Amino acid sequence: MAQRLACGRLPGLGRPSPIRPRFLPLLLVLPTFIVLLAITIFPLLYTATLTVFSWELTTKASAQFVALGNFGRILFEDGRFWNAMRNTTLLVVVGVGLQVILGTGLALLVNRLRRGRTLIVSLILIPVMIAPVVAGFQFRMIYNDQFGPLNDIIQFLTGGLWRGIAWLADPSVALIAILIADVWQWTPFMILIVLAGLQAIPDELHEAARVDGASARQQVWHISLPLVLPVIVVGILVRMMDTFKLFDIVYQLTAGGPGSTTETIAYYTYLQGFKFFSLGYTAAMAVIQLIVITIVAKIFLGYQKRMQRRGSL
Amino acid sequence: MTHSRWYRVGIGLVVIALSTTACGGTASPPPSASAGAAATAPQPLDVIKWETPLSFGGVTVNVVGDAGHNLKPYEFWKDDFTKAGITIKITEVPFEGVYEKLKTEFVAGTGAFDVVTFYPAYIGDYASNGYLEPLDGYLTKEPAAVWGANQDDVLPPFRELYNKWAGKTYALTIDGDVHVMIYRKDLFENADEQAAYKAKFGTELRPPETWADWLQVGSFFTRKKGEKLAGQTLDHDFYGSAEFAKRGFSFAWFVDRWASSGQVYFDDQMTPQINTPEAVAGLQNFVDSLKNAPPDVRAYGYDELRDALLKGNVAMVVQWTDVPKKGADPTQSSVAGKLAVGRVPGTLINGQVVHRAMMPVGRVVAVAADSKNKDAAYWVAKHIAYDRSLEDVSTSLTGLDPYRTTHLEHPEAYTMFADKAAAETYLGGLKAALADGFPEIFIPGAAQYEDVLDLHVNKALAGEETPQQALDTVAAEWQKITDSLGRDKQIELWRSALAGYRALGLIK
Repeated sequence: MAQRLACGRLPGLGRPSPIRPRFLPLLLVLPTFIVLLAITIFPLLYTATLTVFSWELTTKASAQFVALGNFGRILFEDGRFWNAMRNTTLLVVVGVGLQVILGTGLALLVNRLRRGRTLIVSLILIPVMIAPVVAGFQFRMIYNDQFGPLNDIIQFLTGGLWRGIAWLADPSVALIAILIADVWQWTPFMILIVLAGLQAIPDELHEAARVDGASARQQVWHISLPLVLPVIVVGILVRMMDTFKLFDIVYQLTAGGPGSTTETIAYYTYLQGFKFFSLGYTAAMAVIQLIVITIVAKIFLGYQKRMQRRGSL
Repeated sequence: MTHSRWYRVGIGLVVIALSTTACGGTASPPPSASAGAAATAPQPLDVIKWETPLSFGGVTVNVVGDAGHNLKPYEFWKDDFTKAGITIKITEVPFEGVYEKLKTEFVAGTGAFDVVTFYPAYIGDYASNGYLEPLDGYLTKEPAAVWGANQDDVLPPFRELYNKWAGKTYALTIDGDVHVMIYRKDLFENADEQAAYKAKFGTELRPPETWADWLQVGSFFTRKKGEKLAGQTLDHDFYGSAEFAKRGFSFAWFVDRWASSGQVYFDDQMTPQINTPEAVAGLQNFVDSLKNAPPDVRAYGYDELRDALLKGNVAMVVQWTDVPKKGADPTQSSVAGKLAVGRVPGTLINGQVVHRAMMPVGRVVAVAADSKNKDAAYWVAKHIAYDRSLEDVSTSLTGLDPYRTTHLEHPEAYTMFADKAAAETYLGGLKAALADGFPEIFIPGAAQYEDVLDLHVNKALAGEETPQQALDTVAAEWQKITDSLGRDKQIELWRSALAGYRALGLIK
């Protein structure tokens, strides 16, 4: 056995290696594969297995095989699941949309600065550096009707004519309050990645456009935005996946209320998993979410690939 | 101004907005930080006699509980633990997150905690699954001055319901929660207000006896900024009442209204009784009461509800019994000396008003079955639950409420009140509330049953469902939960719980 292993030779090295060259790559990826197996593949397979069982940890009863019963209950009987999906979709579409618009606009402005850009970018990034749970607590204070500054400012600006809004208590506003908090926290992330994209655009392109008489607006529309679009697509994808999992701010601000108006899919999954300990049901919900996120990611990555083929990148 | 100047100004404003919010957000004090934030301990009282054991030899005892003022006793009595050779390490979890945190650790068998603090509605879940150490052996250990917890002194509902499961003691009470009505006596005693009330309704102005009165009195005291209240011109809107209407425990404020009808959660076959006409009427009353409450009342939890009263924004609330103590403390309350305690309103049945006061939350401490320092953990739990308990419940620095006969017999300990008579009045109100006490659902699955109830009560409060729709849905969901947990087992456990409630006089 030792003789057989000794016949290999590492490239670039004079002495023979004890490992056959064709096994070497396998050997090198093995540690990574083992780690991935332990922390990703095994939990994924275990979760997939759990989906076909009803397993209530509240009692001592053992897991019962229910085939696709959990999926059936979720998709056809659980109104709370669909309500949470609706809320999450709204946060993803409107929230990420706003982050893209604001982030891109501000990145274009910051990109024009000649001095102090680093300092301003550092300051703008502060919200991203704050833990979401802390941001949630902060907004709970800001929105508070008795102590919070927001309604005070509204009253001041309207000369006392309008006392503001019950931000977290009004069922028609609470989700918007969460959306504002999320947009506040993550718009700087969009600024950062769009700014990085803008800075990668060669100055020569703008110089040539200027020589040809293009205005600043024309340069933005016909040079900056088309060239930075692939970066924006990646930013949208990252933010969509992240917003789909929005939990901390909801937990801190409303706990899903009033009623179920702000219950997101991540919060509902948390309740099923860690409050009710319905493991099979929670696993099925998690798998459905994984499928949804994977489909969305595929669409965006496909779009990006098409752009690359067209030579936009 | 040139274009470049405009965008520099714009960027400046954005940066200032983002960074100032991030670095401070609000200059106002957080609503919950005020209560009991001081690190000073209450004065030791020489009422309960106890002795320090021989040293445990420098062990660390890991304690977990809901964050905030109710973990203060471990700081107050740090020196006691040091003398006993114990170092306390505290893990704080959010108020609403206790169940899941403990359950997760128990299921995983991490052994992360020695002393666990939880809400007693979960004792069935934790004890029946073997997560808690039975304490009967420790309670009888000698010498009694070191190990005894004098359980006979604990008021029966807290001792039997909070501490025991299947006849064994698994936990020790540290917080005897029950609802009580707290109102602004200065407003009810004001001659102008009394005359105005009589002129409007033809009856005397009195603290509400029934839930119908609650709505009437609440609407009477609800005033706009600029109107007069007790002879003073209001510089802010004032509200007749406020409620705990945030998700989490809002169901308890519904149960206050419904339980006086004489019904309980399930019949003895586990058929839900939650959507009866009486229950629907109770929830409708809750919904109607929001008209007399601050506009953001649906975001009110414990802190906000307490502060609404203590900052002089509302005339009356139903709250836990620690709030009158905080309300009497001028450092925490702008209405000190103006509050009084009364029975939670009731329902008129056959010419008589029946009162029921919900006993939501409460707190117990227990020793985790997988603790590696069980003796030390038990002593820590017992030290908080008994030795230092009078100090802990008689201070306004904690939110802990009396639960022992000793606590009710020492009004002089409650020094936040103006005098001993005021303390006696408070304790009298508390005794009356305990006599009206109505329990939570004390069987495994309590977290699920109560979450569904809370969600749909909250949906009714938010106008997403009518009270009838909300409670019909709860009934249907409860049936599903019972089926998923095993109907026969649940029926057996519920019958046992019912027998316990009846024996304690909690249901008639």
